[in-house]
Amino acid sequence: MNGQGFCYARGDPVLQAQKVSKIYALGKEKVKALDEVDFLSTQGDFVVINGPSGSGKTTLLNLLALIDRPSQGEVLFEGKPTSKLSERDLAFLRRQRIGLVFQTFNLIPVLTAAENVEYPLLLLNLSRQEREQRVRSLLEEVGLDGLGRRRPDELSGGQRQRVAIARALVTQPRVVLADEPTANLDSTTGKQIMGLLQNLNGEHCVTFVVVTHDPAVPPYAQRVLDIRDGKIQGERYVADRPA
Amino acid sequence: MNLKLALRNVFRNRRRTLFSLLVIGVGVTLLSFVLGFVAEALRSTERSLALELGALQVGDARVLEGRASGLEALISPSDLDKVVGLVRTVEGSRISPQLNFAGLIGNEKGSTLLLARGVVPEDCMADYVCMLVAGRPLAEREAREVVLGERLAGKLNLRPGDTVNVAAGTVNGTLNASTVTVVGTLRLSNAQLEERFALVPLGFAQRLVRTTGVERVLIWIEDLAEAPQVRTQLEQRLKDAGLSFSVRTWQDLSPFFESIGTFWRAFSGLTSLAIFVLVFFSVLEVLTISFLERTREVATVRALGVPWSRVFGNFVLEGMAVGFLGGLAGVMGGIFLGLVFNALGLTFVPPGGTMPQPIRVAVGLQTLVVPFLLALLATAASSVYPGWKNARLNVAEALRAV
Repeated sequence: MNGQGFCYARGDPVLQAQKVSKIYALGKEKVKALDEVDFLSTQGDFVVINGPSGSGKTTLLNLLALIDRPSQGEVLFEGKPTSKLSERDLAFLRRQRIGLVFQTFNLIPVLTAAENVEYPLLLLNLSRQEREQRVRSLLEEVGLDGLGRRRPDELSGGQRQRVAIARALVTQPRVVLADEPTANLDSTTGKQIMGLLQNLNGEHCVTFVVVTHDPAVPPYAQRVLDIRDGKIQGERYVADRPA
Repeated sequence: MNLKLALRNVFRNRRRTLFSLLVIGVGVTLLSFVLGFVAEALRSTERSLALELGALQVGDARVLEGRASGLEALISPSDLDKVVGLVRTVEGSRISPQLNFAGLIGNEKGSTLLLARGVVPEDCMADYVCMLVAGRPLAEREAREVVLGERLAGKLNLRPGDTVNVAAGTVNGTLNASTVTVVGTLRLSNAQLEERFALVPLGFAQRLVRTTGVERVLIWIEDLAEAPQVRTQLEQRLKDAGLSFSVRTWQDLSPFFESIGTFWRAFSGLTSLAIFVLVFFSVLEVLTISFLERTREVATVRALGVPWSRVFGNFVLEGMAVGFLGGLAGVMGGIFLGLVFNALGLTFVPPGGTMPQPIRVAVGLQTLVVPFLLALLATAASSVYPGWKNARLNVAEALRAV
């Protein structure tokens, strides 16, 4: 793996959840958003966690992304437990090893598309030349060649999500976690975005974990987990993925 | 990128930013004006004191400290020669021996108290020329001439060319009197002193009080700030020469200047504090709203792995960018206001004063740097709490909320 044409060897465990539960306090009441969920993804996986609103899928994603800590259980990253890591260590893992894509794109409005993609690289001590090369290459890869100077409000929803995907990949992470990446897009653009994620997964062997309630998304995955009421209800492999 | 981000965020909400810049700019302008006024007032007081007292004085410690009258501890002519020789080694110095005495002045129409100063006309009269309102300065060291305070002359109905009698106690305790010619009148800044003040030639003063000595030697130097150093040098040289005289700076001799300085410094400090508080709270409110509006962005960058300390640093940088721009505008406003004010040429007569004094404000680095830095500090301080609060948010909760 080197430069922009990076590719990880498939098969090593990347993210693992062992009987994780998450309990929220709503006033005096306690709500169990996740109930002893087990999860495993290996390098190069494309996993979709599918479920309706309130099923706990975003909660699970936040735990896997090391943004939140489980009330019980353990999240392992690259085989190592994370519960005892400090906030600083978790932030380090997130910026070095994890890419995130949000439902509402979450781009920084005052930065251009290229600057948004470059932003996570600023903490990685890369040379300016290396940063620019990565940004240029990724913008081209996600189909935004020539649009780097535009600000988010000058881009369509699909283009913004492409910028967000480029931003997630620019640090060459082991895993990209996407929260409802098609929810704010029309169906055609949603398909394009999923196709893009599928291609990037194939090309770079980056693990993709996508949570969604959009029925158009699961067919792009290799594996689909159904989640309901904070529990994994079932797991299936997708035989015929779109080309 | 951080600075670029900070500057772009500053101009994200132009109306809000304009309000902040206006508050900071007006604050810095007003403060630089006040500091300029205070600096000029102190400088003007310094100048007038240095003219009156010299930068330094050499004499008997008891006389210089007001514990004895000048006639009780005089500098003899031989010692004076030695003192003058030593003082002349100080580069750029001008010296003038003086002999002060109190007495009576009068004519057939009346008499009044007199505080006279015997001076060497050719040494120092140039310093009094600008105060003359009628007649001419003293011309000869031995002449029987007097320049009177304008109010004193008015009280005795005297004009240049008139004669008047002067009486004073001698060093032996007897009384001596002489008739002198009024050659001029002068105006002092102190009205009370002007009612009793007169300048006479040193030789005449010595004859009147029957001495050949002088009370003190006044020394003027180019830079007043060097007075303490010169004092140390002179004290050492006097000691080496076996002379027991003391040296005092103009500040030692005018303790009230320290009080004036303290008053003005307190005034400047309070004004600075008021401006700091005004800028702090105004900008605090604006930045709090501005930062809290960006919860989603903060949660996003924190989720991407940016440490909270970096996010906090960016907020403070943004606050300081506002302070820098507002401060810069204020500095320009301060320069403009100062120049316009000085161009108006306003004057006022101070309480107890006689002459209109120009009201000016100093315009320069010394009056602009402090307000500018204060603006920078106030805005940085304003950004600390909202920046810290926002940077430390719970990422998962903040992402869920947006």
